[in-house]
Amino acid sequence: MAVYKHNYQAYSGPLTSSTLRFLILARYAYQRIFGSRIFLALFLVCFVPPLGGAVFIYLQHNAKALQILQIPIDELIPIDAAFFQTLLYIQSSLGFLLAVMVGPGLISPDLTNNALPLYLSRPLTRRDYVIGKISALLILLSAVTWIPLSALFFFQARMAGWAWLWEHLRLETAIFTGSWLWMLVISLLALALSAWVRWKPIAGALIFGVFIVGGGFGALVNAILFTHWGSLINIGELMDIAWRYLFRGEGPSGSLPVWAAFAGLLGFCGFCLLLLSKKLKAYEVVRS
Amino acid sequence: MQSTIELDNLTIRFGRQTVLKGLKGAFAGRAIGLLGPNGAGKTTLLHTLLGFHQPTAGTARVFGLDIQREIKQIRHLIGYMPENDSFISDMTGIRFVRLMAELSGLPPSLALERAHETLFYVGLGEARYRKLGTYSLGMKQMAKLAQAIVHGPKLLFLDEPTNGLDPPARQRMISLIKDIRSTGETALILSSHLLRDVEECCEEVMILKEGEIVVYCNLEEERKANRKFLELEIIGDSQPFVEMAEHLGCECAVNGPCRIKMVLPEQVSIRDLYCLAARREIQIRRLNYKRDSLQDIFLKAMEGNRGSLQA
Amino acid sequence: MTDDRIVLDNVSKFYGEVLGVNRVCLSIPPGITSLVGPNGAGKTTLLNLICGLLQPTKGSVRVLGLTVDDPDLMYRKLGYCSQFDAFPKGLTGLELIYGYLRVYGYGNREAQQMAWSALETVNLTDAANRKVQAYSKGMRQRVKLAQAISHRPQILILDEPLNGLDPMARAEVIGLFQKVASEGAHVLISSHILHEVDMISDRVVLINNGYVVAEGNIHGVRDEMDEHPMQIMVRCDRPAAVAAKAFEQDHAVEVKVHEDGQGLMIRTRNADQFYLMLNRIVLDCNLTVEAVSPADDDVYSVYQYLIGTDGGRL
Repeated sequence: MAVYKHNYQAYSGPLTSSTLRFLILARYAYQRIFGSRIFLALFLVCFVPPLGGAVFIYLQHNAKALQILQIPIDELIPIDAAFFQTLLYIQSSLGFLLAVMVGPGLISPDLTNNALPLYLSRPLTRRDYVIGKISALLILLSAVTWIPLSALFFFQARMAGWAWLWEHLRLETAIFTGSWLWMLVISLLALALSAWVRWKPIAGALIFGVFIVGGGFGALVNAILFTHWGSLINIGELMDIAWRYLFRGEGPSGSLPVWAAFAGLLGFCGFCLLLLSKKLKAYEVVRS
Repeated sequence: MQSTIELDNLTIRFGRQTVLKGLKGAFAGRAIGLLGPNGAGKTTLLHTLLGFHQPTAGTARVFGLDIQREIKQIRHLIGYMPENDSFISDMTGIRFVRLMAELSGLPPSLALERAHETLFYVGLGEARYRKLGTYSLGMKQMAKLAQAIVHGPKLLFLDEPTNGLDPPARQRMISLIKDIRSTGETALILSSHLLRDVEECCEEVMILKEGEIVVYCNLEEERKANRKFLELEIIGDSQPFVEMAEHLGCECAVNGPCRIKMVLPEQVSIRDLYCLAARREIQIRRLNYKRDSLQDIFLKAMEGNRGSLQA
Repeated sequence: MTDDRIVLDNVSKFYGEVLGVNRVCLSIPPGITSLVGPNGAGKTTLLNLICGLLQPTKGSVRVLGLTVDDPDLMYRKLGYCSQFDAFPKGLTGLELIYGYLRVYGYGNREAQQMAWSALETVNLTDAANRKVQAYSKGMRQRVKLAQAISHRPQILILDEPLNGLDPMARAEVIGLFQKVASEGAHVLISSHILHEVDMISDRVVLINNGYVVAEGNIHGVRDEMDEHPMQIMVRCDRPAAVAAKAFEQDHAVEVKVHEDGQGLMIRTRNADQFYLMLNRIVLDCNLTVEAVSPADDDVYSVYQYLIGTDGGRL
C-alpha cells in the first residue's frame, strides 16, 4: 500500500536539440490552422492545378490516350518555360490566399497580451522566434509551390528522357529560385503586418493592400514622371520581371532593368525584417 | 557553496541614464528578496540576468555561467514570472503551458505530462482546457506561475507575484512559493513592494537604491539581533503599567493608547511584566519580540547614504 | 440625521441581469473606512455609486446630505482615485492636475499653486513637467492620488490606492490618509492588503457577491461573531499546564498544542477571562512565556470566516 504525494519537482532529464527548437513554433501554428476547415479545403484545392499539370504531361507522352480522348496532337500546349511559369503563377496566387489566412495570426496573438517576454526568457533568441514563425509559412508555401512543381519537372524529365532534363535544367533553377524569392517576400510581409497590426482581418486586408496600392502608386508615379522607377514599389511587377528573367532569360521590355527588380525585392525583404526587429522586443525601455 | 548570482561590476546604461551602477558581489542565497523604490533597477537587474539587455560594462554570472556568452544555458535554468499581464488569449491553458515547456527543451510527451501536473499544482486543474482569455486575474497569475515552473528550473524570478490578487488568492500564491522553495531544488528571487510577502518567502534580502546595492543581509540573523525588543498590546490602564515597568528599568515607548514597545534590561524577565499585569488586572493581549525587522532595514537603507553590505 | 455621514439606503445596482450590489445599507462616519472583499464582489461598484458615477437601480445614496442632483456642491467635496489608469494623452503631471482644478473653477494662479502643492504632498515634484505617459507605475499612482487630493476634498474615495507603490511611498501615503482623517475627513479605501487595512482603518466593510457581509470596527465585528470563539496563541514552555487550567474554567472550547510542544492555540468564548487567568497562571506555575497573540482578531481572520475561499475560488 502506498500514499502518493504529488508535489512540485524540479526537472533534470533529457532536453531536445536546441537547433531544431524553432520548429516547435511552426508545429503549434499548424495545430491551430489545420483545425479550420476552410483552410484545409483551400489547402487541398492548391494541389488541383499541379495534378492537372501532371495529367497534361502524361497525356503529352501517351499517344494512345490522346487517341482515345480524340485530341489532335498539334493542339497540345508544349511543356516549356511558359508552361511552368504559368503554373507557378497559379500556385503562387493560391499560396497568397493561404498566406493571407495564416499570416496575420502568427505574431499578433503573442504581442497583444505581452507574451513575448515569456518566449524570450527561454533559450530562444529573437532570431529563433522569427525563424520559427516564418518557417510555418515557408513550409506551407513550399508545399504548394516549388515542391509540386519540381515534382512535375522531374516527372516530365522522366517521360521525355534525360536529355530533356539537361536541356531544361534552367527551368528547375527558375522554379526553385522564383518560388523562394516569392515565398520570402510574402512571408516577411505577412509577419511584419502581423507584428504591427492587432486585428487579423485588417492585417489580412493590408497584405492585399500592399500589392494593390503599390501597383496603383507605381503606375501613377510612372505616368506623372515619365519614368519606370515608380515600379519599384509595385511588388507584383517586380516579381513578374524577376520570374520572366529566371524562366526565359529575357530582360523586360520598356520597364525596370532586371537587377533593379531583384534589388527592389531584396530591399523590400530587408525593410520587413527591420519592421519586425523594431516590434519584437522583450522589453520596451521607456526613456524619460 | 556555489553562488546563485555573481555580479562583476555590472553596469547598464540606457541612453544617458545609468540604471545599474557597477554592481558587485557573490550571492549564494536560496531565496532572495529584491526590494527597492521604483526606478532603483530591480526589474532591469532581472531582465539583464535573463539576457534581455546587454551590459554596458562588466558582466554577471548565474550558477557560474556568464550572461553574455552562455545565456542560452542560463535560460534553461531560469523560470520567469513577469509583473505585467502575459498570456496568449486564444490558447487553452494546457496548450500554453505545454508550448512553454517544449520551448524550454522538454520532449513533447514529457512536456504534456508536466503541463498537466503543473496546472493541477497551481490550482488550475479544472480550468486547464479553457482559453486563457476567459481566465480571471487570479487565474492568469497562476498560469504565469505555471509556465515559469513547468520546466523545473533551478532559479525562479518572480516579479510582483501577488499583484492584484484578492486575499485568498494571495495566500495561495504565497504558500505555493513557499512550497516550491521548501523542495530545496529551486532557488528564487522575489521582487516585490509588499514587505510581508518578502518576509514570508525569503531568507535573504537585497535592497537596491538608485542602481546600487545598499543592503544584502540574512533576515533570520537580523531577527535574532532584535530579540531584546518587545511589543505589547494591553487592555486596561496603560499609564500605571508603563510607570511600573520603567520603575523596573525598562525603556518604554507608547505607540497609541494600547501599544507599547519595550526594551528589557538583563535582570527583568517577562514574568515580571505578568506580575505587574496581575496586580492591576491588566490583560496583556499581545506580546511578542519585534517582528518587523524588514521594515526597519528598508527604512534605514533608504535614509542612509550607502549602507553596509552584510553578506 | 447628521450630515457628516455617507449614507446608502437599501441600494441595489444591476447591470442588466448582472448583479453589482444588492440591498446595501451603510452609514459611514468620518475616519478611515476600508472596503474589503474578493475580486468581483462589488467594491468598485459600491465606490462608483458613492461617487455618483453610477446611479443605483434602487435605493438612494446621500453623501454629506448631498446627492448627484447638486453636482456642483457634491463634487467639490469628493476626491476620487480610480483603480485603473486613464489619462488624457500628451499632458504632463502638472498640466493634468492644473486642468482639473480649473474645471473646478479655481483661477489660474490658485490652480497652479494647488496643483504644485498636491504634487509636493505625493513627492512627485521632479517629474511634474514630464508627460504622464512616460511615468512608471508608481509615479502614475501618485499622480492619481495628487489629483484626488488637489482640491482638498472632504471625502476621499480611493480604489486600491497603494497599488504599485514601494514600501516607503506606502508608508507616506498611509501617513497622508491618517492626517486627512484626523482632520475630520472621510477616507474610503478599497484594498486587498489586509494587514495594512488592519493597521490603518477605523472601520471595515466586508463585501462578498454583492452583499455587505459585515461592517464596523474590526474588534467589534469579531466580538459579534459568537459562532467563532476567539482563538489565542500562546508560546510557552509548559502548554499542558495552561491547557489544564483553562479547562477548569468553562469558557475554553478547544485547546490545540503546537507540534513542537512549546505552545498552544486555545479557542475560548471569553477572551477577557482567559487573559486575566493567564496572568495568574504565569505567576502560580512559574511559566516562561515567549509570545502571546490573538490569532484571529484581525481583518484577515474575519475575512476567512465570513467570506472564506468562496469568492477566492479560481
